[in-house]
Amino acid sequence: MSESAFLRPQLIGERFDGHAIPLEILKDLAVLEELIVEVAKLEFLKEHPGRRRSPRGFTEGITLKLTGVEEGSAVPLIGLFPEPETLLPPKNRHYFERARDTVIRTIAAAERRQDVTDVLPEKMLTYFDRIGRSLKNGERMVFAAPGRDVQAELTRETRRRLILASSDVMELTDDVSVRGAVPGIDQDAMTVQIQLSDGRKIKAPIAPQHLDVTLEAVNGYKNGLRILFQGVGRFDRGDRLLGFECIEHMGLVDPLDVAAQIDDLRRLKDGWLDGQGTAPTGVGLDWLNDAFNRHYPDDLPLPHLYPTDPGGVQAEWTMGPCEITLEVDLDRRCGYLHVLHAEDDADDGRDVELGAAAGWRELAGLISSLSEGRR
Amino acid sequence: MTSGTLLFRQVNPSWVKLGRITSQAFMPTAKDRGRLSTYDGDRITAENSWRHYTRELGFRSAGVLAVTVGECEARGLSVESDPSPFPEHVVVRFDGCSRSQVVKNAKHLTRLATARGWQHQAESEAA
Repeated sequence: MSESAFLRPQLIGERFDGHAIPLEILKDLAVLEELIVEVAKLEFLKEHPGRRRSPRGFTEGITLKLTGVEEGSAVPLIGLFPEPETLLPPKNRHYFERARDTVIRTIAAAERRQDVTDVLPEKMLTYFDRIGRSLKNGERMVFAAPGRDVQAELTRETRRRLILASSDVMELTDDVSVRGAVPGIDQDAMTVQIQLSDGRKIKAPIAPQHLDVTLEAVNGYKNGLRILFQGVGRFDRGDRLLGFECIEHMGLVDPLDVAAQIDDLRRLKDGWLDGQGTAPTGVGLDWLNDAFNRHYPDDLPLPHLYPTDPGGVQAEWTMGPCEITLEVDLDRRCGYLHVLHAEDDADDGRDVELGAAAGWRELAGLISSLSEGRR
Repeated sequence: MTSGTLLFRQVNPSWVKLGRITSQAFMPTAKDRGRLSTYDGDRITAENSWRHYTRELGFRSAGVLAVTVGECEARGLSVESDPSPFPEHVVVRFDGCSRSQVVKNAKHLTRLATARGWQHQAESEAA
């Protein structure tokens, strides 16, 4: 029997356009089911204060099922099903509906920065470590209880507030992507040591399918070989990465990978140049990384990146007799682009605006021509 | 000094990336006021210049590169002894160059110095 109106979370964000739902989101919805079941038991006990536990079989055979996807970025339709397919006793269904409403009110409280433990016990909040973990920045899950005047948005930020509201939580997990070197591996324990760009070392379990890449990374450690690790990271309450719960993807990083080079620049401190030399700001480096990602085509040669004395970054390309430099002012988001043709001493220097796509197109056009041997 | 005299230039470790040296290594910084500091190769060895720079002055250097006096002068850059900070100190004068000329000359000198190779290298400092 279909009960399609039990829950209709609206998924909003680019990934959900065309009413498509990435499969990883289903993991979050599966944990939402676990939470609703547990809260339904609590709702029963609230109504029966003399009892210490919910009746045997209270939740047996109850399951939430995805029955369809509606438009509206994407709206998974989740029904409440009894198994085998017989009708639930009406009063039991009521506990599950109340549980759903409690969960929605909890998220709403987090959204409004209210005390969520007034709505849901602390121990239940740990479920949010796995609910909404797949959401990216800018994405949200909007919950509304049918026939109720409560709406709540689960975002990365509200999820974080929910988890941290529990004093039991010393660590939280989140999807993470980091670049690092691999100084060592324990093949018995199948764990790997990852050295992050700030020099810290963390541990991660590895799966057999990642063993070859890991061994290659260990061999290349002395030469600065780096790996991109993607998976579920463990963070402390201060958002510091402590380790990996699991690694889902691993891949060798190009030695000139822009993000990895920018990570190196983050380690600089003021005074790096003989007591002078301003360190580039984190905000400025974030912008530069994002701008390269957005505007610099993948198929063009990658630059070497160096810090500059006044706190900027200089990108440099050598293509045969051509020396190209782009000195970037991270605060003003502009640059000085200079090309030297060493064989005939011809050169050209000009200011470029890097805060908009046009300046990056100019750079890409130049690099593209020179890499093909055209001037 | 003669036109063949080597001028030793210390290279900051942050200016070496995967073995490639930025052209900033031969560009005066704001504090240099258009005068690029080098060591007179007729009066000190590359290794001793590195020791002086890192131990006596307390700065960081991944190693020592060199251009000749003649290579600088061929680009219109005058070379002068300036013993005020220490006796072997020599400056290559970029003052009077436009921004584009500074960058262009620094690139030429870096190409020449890189082609000549490291005169001394601190293994542990090189990035």
